[in-house]
Amino acid sequence: METGFNAGKAVRVSSFDLIDIYRVYTDKFKTNSIHFFFQDNLTRENVTKNALLPAVMRRGSRTYPTLRDISMELESLYGASFDCGVTKKGERHIIHFYTEFLSRQYVPDGTDTFAAGLDLLFDIVTRPALVNGRFNEEYLAQEKENLRIRIESRVNDKMQYSVDRCLEEVCRNEPYEIYDYGFVEDLAGISADELTQHYQNMLETFPMQVYLVGSITDKETDRLSEMLSGLARKNIISLGNGFTIKKETEPRHVTETMNVTQGKLCLGYRTNTAPDSEDFPALMVCNGILGGGIHSKLFRNVREKARLAYYAYSRLEKFKGLMVVSSGIDIGNKQKALGIIEQQLDDMTKGNITDYELEATVKSIETGVKSMTDSQINIVDFYLSQTISGTNDDFSTVIEKAKKVTKDEITAAARRIVLDTIYFLTAAGSPDR
Amino acid sequence: MTINRIQYEKAGETLYSYEHSSGLKTFVIPRRGYSKKFAAFATNYGSIDNEFIIPGEENVTRVPDGIAHFLEHKLFEQKDGNVMEKFSALGSNPNAYTSFNKTVYLFSCTDRFDENFSLLLDYVQNPYITQESVENEKGIIGQEIMMYQDNPEWKVFINLLRALYEKHPVRLDIAGTIDSISRIDRDTLYKCYNTFYHPSNMIVLAVGDIEPESIFERVESSILHREPRPPVSRIYPEEAASACSDYIEEKLAVSIPIFQMGYKGSFYGEKGIELLKYETAVKLLLELLIGRSSELFEHLYNEGLINSSFGADAYVEKQCAFSVLGGESPDPAKVRDRFCQALESAKKSGLDRSGCERLLRSLRGRFMRQFNSVERIANSFISAYFKGVSMFDYLDVYDKITFEYVNEVLHDHFDHASLAMSVIRPV
Repeated sequence: METGFNAGKAVRVSSFDLIDIYRVYTDKFKTNSIHFFFQDNLTRENVTKNALLPAVMRRGSRTYPTLRDISMELESLYGASFDCGVTKKGERHIIHFYTEFLSRQYVPDGTDTFAAGLDLLFDIVTRPALVNGRFNEEYLAQEKENLRIRIESRVNDKMQYSVDRCLEEVCRNEPYEIYDYGFVEDLAGISADELTQHYQNMLETFPMQVYLVGSITDKETDRLSEMLSGLARKNIISLGNGFTIKKETEPRHVTETMNVTQGKLCLGYRTNTAPDSEDFPALMVCNGILGGGIHSKLFRNVREKARLAYYAYSRLEKFKGLMVVSSGIDIGNKQKALGIIEQQLDDMTKGNITDYELEATVKSIETGVKSMTDSQINIVDFYLSQTISGTNDDFSTVIEKAKKVTKDEITAAARRIVLDTIYFLTAAGSPDR
Repeated sequence: MTINRIQYEKAGETLYSYEHSSGLKTFVIPRRGYSKKFAAFATNYGSIDNEFIIPGEENVTRVPDGIAHFLEHKLFEQKDGNVMEKFSALGSNPNAYTSFNKTVYLFSCTDRFDENFSLLLDYVQNPYITQESVENEKGIIGQEIMMYQDNPEWKVFINLLRALYEKHPVRLDIAGTIDSISRIDRDTLYKCYNTFYHPSNMIVLAVGDIEPESIFERVESSILHREPRPPVSRIYPEEAASACSDYIEEKLAVSIPIFQMGYKGSFYGEKGIELLKYETAVKLLLELLIGRSSELFEHLYNEGLINSSFGADAYVEKQCAFSVLGGESPDPAKVRDRFCQALESAKKSGLDRSGCERLLRSLRGRFMRQFNSVERIANSFISAYFKGVSMFDYLDVYDKITFEYVNEVLHDHFDHASLAMSVIRPV
């Protein structure tokens, strides 16, 4: 076992039928966790079904046929948790199931929590509660309604909604514009038969990653491998990540109105830097200097100097090659804020980067990356992301690469960034000036 | 230097503490193997402390709403610039937050802990506020207030408190209003600072892979010596036991109604372990009545009256106590009525003893899980501390709480007259 902050490296312990099993061994947590990821390409055809699947599957398994049975089992297992859902990374659509439970040494009665947690997860994922060979019609109808509400309630969180919408506009007519939770209008057409068939497809054909985190023994790992080797796998699909280069584009203005008090201004960019390219660390530092924290140009200029906003930041979507700037401002200040935001990136393309900005950003990346090792879900997300971007870095190599980045490389990365969409969420009837 | 050390076998954790001559208490919870190190400097002063008598004075001082939060923003400004930049030059993440009853200054870092820690102790002890910077801050806080105006989750919560409480300042927005902050000036900020930032009203906490002795030595050498001082007397208006209003509604740009309902507890002035017992009982009851494993949850979920956004919690402090449950629903009033029915039947026919035991086991496990995260340890510790206890006391409470006591709280807390509901409806 390695020592220092890098303890907890993901080691692939087994791989068959495009099921990759990784173990992250560490004893610093009081819990262990097991994560199953099924990956698909993000498509209109599958997205709504993928989103519906975990929602219906969590309703019950053969051993625990109702939500209530599952909840009682989790409570008995010392407040263990189970959750599932979908997310997109680049143009991959990922279905995630996980369970987290106290490790045995902290359980007063010595319950084999790993076995119990794994059995529950495995039961939910591989033995759903079926009626006559298909999903329960009632569960399906209820979860379609819940999913409809979920999709429609996107607008409730204005900060997240504006960022998502901005990036969707950047990627109009590309798969990335598809919302993770799918389409309301596609719900009605999904029958129990079709969803059951889709479930079989997921189990048989979607590449699968499994992560075990915590003080997991070899015996426990073997047990899991053995269970998964019983799955019938065939015709495994191949996946892309959707990274796109687009350099020639005129910035487009998109304005959406809603009943809001504060305007949300988002700028969507193409980074034109692939996540597995040698230039990527420079882009990461570039984004950090622009809007990655309190040392950043956006925070200091939009918030601290101009006092236009409470928040102003930038972040990357590295798989697809996107960057977004987001800020909540007074509706009347749109032009002023836009001018200051554009000026910041413009300055970087001219090489206007101070030593303080560079050093603080690299340190902040170092702190951020090291901190990931303190959270099981962040560790898992870090390694899963590596597999999607086609890189094979661990925590320390990411830090080393960031430290080596020069101002010239940052300037070059900034020059590759192209503004695509200026999105503004504003109040109806307010003059857009 | 006298260092106190308490080992909690069941949790597998050790708590170190030390008291400075000024009355400042410092605590350290080591977590070996963690990269992140966390420290906080917190004062028992929050948004509800708007009326008080300064020790040594006779008259009541009344300050504008939102001033504790405003002061939190202003402390970052120092004579030689913004202290945030110094933290970020060290690669750490400084932050601060203000709640109803506390203001917490904190940072997390992975390297150079000592320098960060000294910086924290230094800036919180040395305010540098000019009238010009006060005026400037009004723009940023104004945007923060407006951001919350558009946040339905926050609005539904603060509206519920407005319905539950008639006079108690817990009903006020933590950041104040655009109008109330316009009345904040430099002198009033200093007055609040001098009143509530005395070391005897504060604590220091550090969590992570840290040596306790070095923390205590740093506190010993960095905290200015001050005479211990009597506590500030804070004035909270008398509040009726019943809810101020049973329903409140507002329209916002949401897709589906969002609701929260809650009971106002009549549990004032109590301190310490009694607060924890009460909080634990209310949480248990919420789980028993409408938690994921309850019959009611199953029915409401199957009927589409609630969805997975549903949640429930108890907020129990010395100054006020209330429970909150809610989420998205096409028909919030129906959820309320069904909850009240289930409540009445539980009151008549009694609670499920085995369910109670199962949920207690679950609470115990969830308590242990907090130790996975240095931030969560710190948040729990600080919030328990200002209740007058240590977070480790929860384990005792889980061992000692009785079915009979939970039953008592069922009848005491969930009183129909103290129930209110807040709904945000689509425009």
